Amino acid sequence: MSLPVIEAVGIDKDFGARRGGAAHLALKGVTCRLHEGEILGLVGESGSGKTTLSRIMIGIEEPTAGEVRSDGRVIRTRADWRALRRHVQYVFQDPSTALCPTMRIGAALAEPLAIHAICPAAARPARVARMLEMVGLHPDLARRLPAQLSGGQRQRVNLARALMLEPRVLICDEIVSGLDVSVQAQVLALLVDLQRKLGLSIIFISHDLRVIRYLCDRIQVMLLGEVVEEGPAARIFDAPDHAYTRALLAAIPDRNRPRHADVA
Amino acid sequence: MTAPLLEMRDLSISFAGRDGPLHAVDGAGFTLGAGECLVIAGESGSGKSLLCRSILGIQPETATVSGHLAWKGQSLIGLDAARFRPLRGAAMAMIFQDPTAALNPLLTVGRQIGDVVRTHRRCTREEARARTIEVLGLAGLPEPEHRLSNYPSELSGGMRQRVAIALALSAGPELIIADEATTNLDVSIQAHVVALLRRLRRDLGVALIFVTHDLDLAAEVGGNLMVMYAGQPVETGEVGTVLADPIHPYTRGLLQSAPTLRSTRDTPLRPIPGQAPKPGSVGAGAPFRERCTVVVDGVCALRRPDWTEAGPGHLVACHRFARDGRRGLP
Amino acid sequence: MTSTVAAPTRPGFLQRHEIGPALAAGVVLLAVIVTAALAAPVIAPADPNLPNLMVVRKPPSAEHWFGTDPVGRDLLSRILWGGQVSLVVAGVGMVGSLVIGTVMGMLRGFGPEWLRPVVDRAIDIQLAFPYVLLGIAITSAVRPSIPVLIVLMILAGWAGAARVVRAIALQERAKDYVKAAEIIGASRLRIAAFHVFPSTWPSLMVLAAMQMAAMIVFEATLSFLGMGVQPPTASWGGIMLDGKNYISSAWWLTLLPGLAIMLTSLSLVLIGDGLEARSERLRSREAAA
Repeated sequence: MSLPVIEAVGIDKDFGARRGGAAHLALKGVTCRLHEGEILGLVGESGSGKTTLSRIMIGIEEPTAGEVRSDGRVIRTRADWRALRRHVQYVFQDPSTALCPTMRIGAALAEPLAIHAICPAAARPARVARMLEMVGLHPDLARRLPAQLSGGQRQRVNLARALMLEPRVLICDEIVSGLDVSVQAQVLALLVDLQRKLGLSIIFISHDLRVIRYLCDRIQVMLLGEVVEEGPAARIFDAPDHAYTRALLAAIPDRNRPRHADVA
Repeated sequence: MTAPLLEMRDLSISFAGRDGPLHAVDGAGFTLGAGECLVIAGESGSGKSLLCRSILGIQPETATVSGHLAWKGQSLIGLDAARFRPLRGAAMAMIFQDPTAALNPLLTVGRQIGDVVRTHRRCTREEARARTIEVLGLAGLPEPEHRLSNYPSELSGGMRQRVAIALALSAGPELIIADEATTNLDVSIQAHVVALLRRLRRDLGVALIFVTHDLDLAAEVGGNLMVMYAGQPVETGEVGTVLADPIHPYTRGLLQSAPTLRSTRDTPLRPIPGQAPKPGSVGAGAPFRERCTVVVDGVCALRRPDWTEAGPGHLVACHRFARDGRRGLP
Repeated sequence: MTSTVAAPTRPGFLQRHEIGPALAAGVVLLAVIVTAALAAPVIAPADPNLPNLMVVRKPPSAEHWFGTDPVGRDLLSRILWGGQVSLVVAGVGMVGSLVIGTVMGMLRGFGPEWLRPVVDRAIDIQLAFPYVLLGIAITSAVRPSIPVLIVLMILAGWAGAARVVRAIALQERAKDYVKAAEIIGASRLRIAAFHVFPSTWPSLMVLAAMQMAAMIVFEATLSFLGMGVQPPTASWGGIMLDGKNYISSAWWLTLLPGLAIMLTSLSLVLIGDGLEARSERLRSREAAA
């Protein structure tokens, strides 16, 4: 059994501790393990702590207790995080704030290459163009500013930027939540395609169980900072154990299961 | 058959453009009676929000509204502000997607709702307070008495939306327009709100216009469905009927691209190719033609489709369907 | 179906770039003043430093359009040449204070933790400081000269810029794109310089105009008090100093340079206001799109 590609073990996060106020436990003893090649879904409603957990796993938030490990090694120092971020990348939810408003798309995509000196400067435009094509965008878009793109295009650029460093792991935080249905479908199809082509392992966070069902192999259901259920997607959806999971599934609108015949 | 509360025919909303008027809404129409529900389904750029705002008269000033729109027989187009005011809140209320648009950040929840209650109904302060607690409870807020002294900023997003819903209910309107009102809510609260709206229809005869991009949610809400694309209605009918037998290529595309509780990676979603058009940019012809896989050459580019009947009460605006029936569908 | 509305005309240059009347007026006025000052060697009717005791304190006339000063120098020439000095000194002071202020503001936003309260307090102190008093103190110790004057202006002006840049830095730092840059490995310096600094340009442009206006007046004040540009070099404040004793009898000696100061300041304020209104309009145009 190989080590998880990335895992968070025993994570506590108390937002109140800093100001010495009442404890606000966003996360309580949460453990999350991602294995190679799988798509893990973190699902929960607002306040479940799923976004906080994902931010702790990429190091932009610090846990009050617990540790993050990659391939068995604990990530502690800033140098460790820098090394981790060479193969673990993060995609933010809101495409309008996740891209620098004053930087052209081409420059934003070339930046990771420049920072890590991956290829000579002359080679960067070609790589950027290739990546834009891989996410289904025309290479000419490199000259535009984020404000000149649609929400769906911006989200693809976000994905592209995360992929420039050719990571093994992607953490996606509600990346399709603000998008129209047809745009969402395009981005999901793209993600599936990329996962297959590049062999990515993905942690996918969402509150929408239908998207999670479509995308994920394994699921962790979170409620108020704790993992209440986890397991293979098929099992969770067909035979949920926990009452909360059942309640969540029951609340989801479904065209094939109209429940209210009393009013037409 | 009771007289309809709201009647709309051939409604167009246009903006001045560089080369002529841009039609953000073109030819929308429906009738709505007490206790009835119309679900308007569409994505960004479909004109659905603009349509709702024009019913309440809160469309942008640069918009020109033409056609027929009447509330209980009285025309709403061009109605001056003084005569619109008594209608808003008391007769018609709107719930927006973002509650910050509806809530005053400087007043407490109790004060805001109380103000609306007392504006539309003569009552004492205690009666107003009781009514406020009642609507807050109806909207699903836990411990409503404790919410009265909260400011909107002290509440979570979901609670703020419920306060906005309570605000809309407080004057006892006959028509509620919910514009993506549950999109940002947790699923459990969304289910509660939908159940509440259904109860209001059944028990109080409140008419409902529910705008959403989620066709499964449309099925839950029930009523008549109007699917809009680029400002034009493309398919209408009873919700269950349309979803069981979708005809228009756009409706079918939407259904095929939305994941359900049973779809997995092995059954890939089929996204609609291309991008939604900017409002008003489709010009003459069938609005969906740029992204449609069954375009009829020579016809779709020139003429807008007429309504064709697909079943009792089920109308579709599609050249391909008019020509080839269900055989021609993607 | 014929169109009953005339097709709108293509928006002109001013409209397309959202240049309002205030901005246009300010630019034109400033351009006139700067061109006149720069053209002093060519258009000044006389040597600004040549005294002529035969025509002392003459009012404006055909030979001396602006009159003459207490030692008979042609006032128009002095004002034109003085304009060069005043504009350059104020300009250098403005640029210096913006550069220092930007660096300080960015340091506050992106620098090490311990530096933050230091910068904040420095800004507070600087804003509260009475600069004329500082000028008096400094020039009692050091001989006043143009470099000293410029240093004084930078000291007086940097905190205004630092405050603006600090506010923008703090606001942008909280946004996702800064965190995203951190995740792809960008250092804080890179984030400050390439991601956040470009967002400060619009505000810096407005500030530049406003600061320049303030610097013009500041230079005039200090020169008037004898702590700025030293005679015989003409500067607008210095010219007013020369005419100080004759305010009621030889009104042109103080009024005309005063008018020059006022008009220059006005043009810059119009530009600053106009730029600010313009960025508001551009922002709302973007939001509506």
